[in-house]
Amino acid sequence: MKKLLDRNLKAFLLYALVVFLASVPAYFLIVDFIWRTELHEHNEIVAMRAKENFQRLSGDTAALNASIDAWNRIQPEAGIVPVNAMDEDSVYTVYRYTSLSGHEELDRFHGLISYFTAGGQAYKMTVETNIEESYETISAITAVTALFFLLLLAGFLLLNKKLSKQLWAPFHETVGKLEAYDLKSQSQIPLPQTDIIEFESLHAGIRKLISGNIAAYREQKEFTENASHELQTPLAIVQSKLDLFLQTEGLTEEQSGIIEAANHSLSRVSRINRNLVLLAKIENGQFASEETVEITGIVKELTGEMEDFLTEKNIRLELDAPGTCTVTGNAALVEILLTNLLMNAIRHTPDGGEMRAVISSGSVSIANSGASPLPEDKLFKRFSSAAAHTTGTGLGLAIVRQICQLYGWQVGYGFRDGMHHFTVAFTGGKEE
Amino acid sequence: MKLLVIEDEAELAASITGYLTDYTCETAATFTQALEKIDMYTYDCILLDLTLPGGDGLRLLDMLKKEKRNDGIIIISARNAMEDKITGLTNGADDYIAKPFHLPELAARVYSVIRRKQFSSANVVEQHEVKIDLLSKKVFVEGNEVPLTKKELDLLLYFIGNKNKVISKGALAEHLSGDMADMLDSHAFVYAHIKNLKRKLTEAGYGNYLKNVYGTGYKWEV
Repeated sequence: MKKLLDRNLKAFLLYALVVFLASVPAYFLIVDFIWRTELHEHNEIVAMRAKENFQRLSGDTAALNASIDAWNRIQPEAGIVPVNAMDEDSVYTVYRYTSLSGHEELDRFHGLISYFTAGGQAYKMTVETNIEESYETISAITAVTALFFLLLLAGFLLLNKKLSKQLWAPFHETVGKLEAYDLKSQSQIPLPQTDIIEFESLHAGIRKLISGNIAAYREQKEFTENASHELQTPLAIVQSKLDLFLQTEGLTEEQSGIIEAANHSLSRVSRINRNLVLLAKIENGQFASEETVEITGIVKELTGEMEDFLTEKNIRLELDAPGTCTVTGNAALVEILLTNLLMNAIRHTPDGGEMRAVISSGSVSIANSGASPLPEDKLFKRFSSAAAHTTGTGLGLAIVRQICQLYGWQVGYGFRDGMHHFTVAFTGGKEE
Repeated sequence: MKLLVIEDEAELAASITGYLTDYTCETAATFTQALEKIDMYTYDCILLDLTLPGGDGLRLLDMLKKEKRNDGIIIISARNAMEDKITGLTNGADDYIAKPFHLPELAARVYSVIRRKQFSSANVVEQHEVKIDLLSKKVFVEGNEVPLTKKELDLLLYFIGNKNKVISKGALAEHLSGDMADMLDSHAFVYAHIKNLKRKLTEAGYGNYLKNVYGTGYKWEV
């Protein structure tokens, strides 16, 4: 994963590098061309002036010879020698060692060979000028280019860092707000104000999405609430009619069995309904009162009440409570949470199995023996009971999770050493 | 014994009066009707639904308490939030039962409310040879104490409160362990408790009043 600005920066830097690299030969060719042209001109001027002066001395052979001799003595590299015939002018460039410069290295010279006649004799004249060596030119240009490139690089990096911080600040804030958002709060996300078009349109999109979701969520919640509530009375009527029916004189065993079967299903529906109402109430935050609740005591009390079920299934229960564990919350909800976890464990423990409840200062863990791990992602969802033959309502663990969410507790599941472990960590406080 | 059933659902009211045949039942379907009846008569126990056409049942409760009336009051409501329960009970109701409920459960509660109101000084329930001291939670048969567990005593009172009525195993299971009740499929533990209760009472010389009905329920026949 890369940052958006970094991705840009890399492209910019690569392009800059290419341009700088290409500029090196260009600079070199231009500078070298200017050098040569200027020095060629210089050589021509020097030669022309010398030729003129020598030609003026044409009549006086002795003076001419003396001057040529003097010239040759002063400028040994650029000598004037008599030749048999005149020729075309020519130029050359040569590298050689020179003792004059005082250092032992190759120097480059640009020379002009020109011909002239003085006093009937043809002479060849060589004029030479030292020219900056091409490798020196090219390394100087490269060095300067590299320096500028490094300056550019450093500038880019610094600017990028600063811009990234400034430009993306509202974005990061938005991401943070989105991560912390809970649809159940049913409020809009307080998105930061920004004058950047892109972010503002992102915010507008998010706001629209959230309001749609809130509306859908509210509708669904209200439906569950109303439906569950409206079901209570008809359920009560059916229940009472069945109880009444059971009192009828001359009921046969078969009829009685039918009533009992109907009763059984009806009480299951009633429990599902009660739990749905409970879920809706927890979501609505109708359990506002908070008090300090001591976990160990409640667990002991509950396991005492569940004695019948434990004996019935021949389950060994081990309670390990080394420290006291107190939490802040609604006592009824805490009790529901623990009841659901314990009942869930009892229900799914095979006959003759074992259960272990571990209560430490910040968490409670309830384990029961089982065959294979359960799908954790489905466990805490409504009506997703892992076992098909379960007698539960499929809402117990959903209620557990809902209660944990309300108080900001963590509920987790794990399968270790042939046991299902359900753990509630009472960390953090109630989410604001 | 006079009962007033304040319930706007005619069918439910009919079921309740049909079941509670040991008492003289009157019904009221609206807030105004209930108000009239309460003004004119006193009752041993009033079954009060909270959501009524014409007003909130809690207001009736307030009025009864203001007049310092001694009628026993049991709230029967579809509103089963903890807050509603607490409000109802702190405002002076004697008991609270959430819909849907089993009629034997309601009968047992009515029985216990009336018993508390009428025999508050005695706190002793007598049924043929059996005598139950509710304060010390002791059961005597012909003067001899029968050691019963809490659940067995609970069952005994439930049966006495529903004498001559068939009670299903499901209703018994729910009565014994409340919401936890039939989270487990089998009602074997109900059977175990009943067997023990029956054995202990028979051993102490109590007649065989507890009958098994078709294997699906029980009946306390006197």
